[in-house]
Amino acid sequence: MAYSSKPEPVDAIVVGLGATGGTAVKVLAEAGMKVVGFDRGPWLRAHEHYSGDEVKYVNRNYLWPDPKLFPRTLRHDEHSVAEVFPFSPTPQLVGGGTNHWAGWVPRPRESDFIQRSLHGDLPGASLADWPIRYEHLEPYLTKVEWEFGVSGVAGADKYEPFRSRPYPSEPLRPTRFGRRFYDAAKKMGFNAFPIPHAMVTNRHKGRDPFNKTSFWNQYGDPSGARSNTLTTFIPEAVATGNFELRSECFVREVKVGKDGRATGVVYIDPEGREVEQDAKVVVLSLGAIESARLMLMSRSAQHPDGLANSSGLVGKNATFHEYVFAVGLFDKEVDDPLYGWAGNYISGGTFEFYETGKDRGHIGGCLISASQTVHPVNWVFPGRPSWGSALKDADRDYFNYAMKIGAILHDMPRESNRVDLDPTVKDAWGLPVARITHRPHENDVRMSKWQVDKNAEILEVAGARKTVPVYLDRMTGNTCHQHGTARMGNDPAKSVLNEWCQTHDIDNLFVVDGSGFPTSTGVNPTLTMMANAWRACDYIVETYAKGREEHIKVA
Amino acid sequence: MTLKADWEIVGSPIDPDSDERLFFTQHEWETVEAATARIIPTDHDPGAREARVVVFIDRYLSGIDYIFAAADGSGFLKLTGKFAEAWRARMWDMQQTYREGIRDLDAAARKSYDADFKDLTEEQQDRVLEAFSGAPKPSKVTLGTTEAVTTFLQGTFDEGLGFFPALCLHTKQGFYCDPVYGGNKDHMGWKVIGFVGPKSLKDTMDGTYDTTQYFMPGDYTWEELVPHLRDHPFQPAAQ
Repeated sequence: MAYSSKPEPVDAIVVGLGATGGTAVKVLAEAGMKVVGFDRGPWLRAHEHYSGDEVKYVNRNYLWPDPKLFPRTLRHDEHSVAEVFPFSPTPQLVGGGTNHWAGWVPRPRESDFIQRSLHGDLPGASLADWPIRYEHLEPYLTKVEWEFGVSGVAGADKYEPFRSRPYPSEPLRPTRFGRRFYDAAKKMGFNAFPIPHAMVTNRHKGRDPFNKTSFWNQYGDPSGARSNTLTTFIPEAVATGNFELRSECFVREVKVGKDGRATGVVYIDPEGREVEQDAKVVVLSLGAIESARLMLMSRSAQHPDGLANSSGLVGKNATFHEYVFAVGLFDKEVDDPLYGWAGNYISGGTFEFYETGKDRGHIGGCLISASQTVHPVNWVFPGRPSWGSALKDADRDYFNYAMKIGAILHDMPRESNRVDLDPTVKDAWGLPVARITHRPHENDVRMSKWQVDKNAEILEVAGARKTVPVYLDRMTGNTCHQHGTARMGNDPAKSVLNEWCQTHDIDNLFVVDGSGFPTSTGVNPTLTMMANAWRACDYIVETYAKGREEHIKVA
Repeated sequence: MTLKADWEIVGSPIDPDSDERLFFTQHEWETVEAATARIIPTDHDPGAREARVVVFIDRYLSGIDYIFAAADGSGFLKLTGKFAEAWRARMWDMQQTYREGIRDLDAAARKSYDADFKDLTEEQQDRVLEAFSGAPKPSKVTLGTTEAVTTFLQGTFDEGLGFFPALCLHTKQGFYCDPVYGGNKDHMGWKVIGFVGPKSLKDTMDGTYDTTQYFMPGDYTWEELVPHLRDHPFQPAAQ
């Protein structure tokens, strides 16, 4: 393959322009750095390309990765041969997962940063404390809530840690199933509140939030309602004049010099040519699976086991939340319709069951929320008959008479749960794909059982006449939440990144996505990831680029 | 090369009343129409036959011209590059799945009843589909019970599915899709189940389609829904 002419070197390269890459390019470019950003996927135009087409979005992967082009493999133990499986199929395009997401953006809890201190050595798990605490993130959580746009009611979440500002935007009107959840919470005596949502309902920062179509989770949003880096941070970065975006360009290697420091990247452009781009700093933000894969693919004499992998931990301790839930069916002869397809996915949730409970037989817990059962082709009714009059009757009787309460399963890290390179399966560019090895910790299975049973109990109090619980049996990555493959920590032997998302081995290589999370937190992680990426990029601009070094001391 | 972001819009919405066959033979068309009519049968409400599910499936299987509707439903996206190659390979596989599946269905029908599937009674067709699917015909969902199932992946893709599961999935898609894809004629699938969908895809792009009347009715305050707020109004933490 011929190299085309080499573009001018820049200050920083950002690889992967989703939630955290979008944040990184904004922060770096606004600070005056010359930045080139790469995404393997297209740079779509939301107002022109997005609409409410269920077949296109939910069944035919218009946004989800095409499994023939971007396969992944999965196995449940060390000794099996991994099979091709669309594990954690986060959309690969500019804006990444923020294109399709429902957009739950709750804040993490103080306990999420100190799981090891709280629970000690949980057998079979590799719990670790974070090298930072909630207080280090709080200013950045607030920045993201205001700059990106989050709707919520400050103070409504009884268990939220301190916050310095309320929300910039009101939540949506509750849905009918949301109302059922609030009423059940009152009866059962727990705190229900509107889950903070990555959308705006006002004209925040000039946006035009007209989307009231209920085509939300998994769909692109043609309006300015959804907070998506494609329509917020990325145009803001472009507007600085310091940022160039190269879409449909696939970075296949981070290059290093003789001294082992990063010199730039090699990528394949849309014409299939290999191009080298040099930079002073390389920032990875491909998501914890693909960032680990790129580091492992970037082998060199200085880094024979992959980039920044002197600890041997790149790819290990991978954590993935699983969305587990219970569905409740109501009686159309007696009950009011719930219109489970209406709404912007979530409506009413609680942190009541989040912290470790005494008698539950497991540590940790889950955020839960009432949520849409969505649209006719794929509506969420596990056990829906597959054919015949039973199918037609089920759709006719329950499509408007169902609701769902789901939990984000806080899984425990294990060193053996990991991402590495598949020995045989290649992607459409001929490169080895990410292989996921994952077996849930016993704590995950117990937590799933307890939480889903609790969800079913709430559904019954809400008036459901039948409940269908969906427990964890194996990890499918159905939340697209990925973490842990390049742990942050203070000890270079036990972690890949330091507290600034900077690799211990290579001072000019940063990984700012969820890879750095030592534990997964039990909340939807994107707000935390974006805040953490902003914090790391502030460090790059304010400290690292000025030739200084700082460290955070935690108790 | 045309980037995915710049895929052209070509063609026009599929005519559900068309009898033109792009992929199926006449026999295959009639067989698939009969089978989909057992998957979503006609009763006092229309079923797969009236919603023109067979048109939806025929166009889908015909190649890569009807994969993704344009956002506004004015036509279809013209796939390019690796995406086009991937879909072409996938549709080739699905075409074989259908060709062989229909052949096997007829073979099963002839073995039991000495006639092609499409010429059997509905009752006989159901028995053949039962044998074919390896499970009894699903029974009616009843209330008052709890049934547990296991982990669930978002999104249902058809790659690698066998004939019968693919046919069941495609029948649901054809019954409930946006009509641009040739099925759900006159929104009849949506009407059967009470889904008040958009008149057109374009209506979902410009604010015309608004579902807020299906949200919670009536007045409310957050203090009423979240009693905690009454006693603990928010105050920013002192920094």
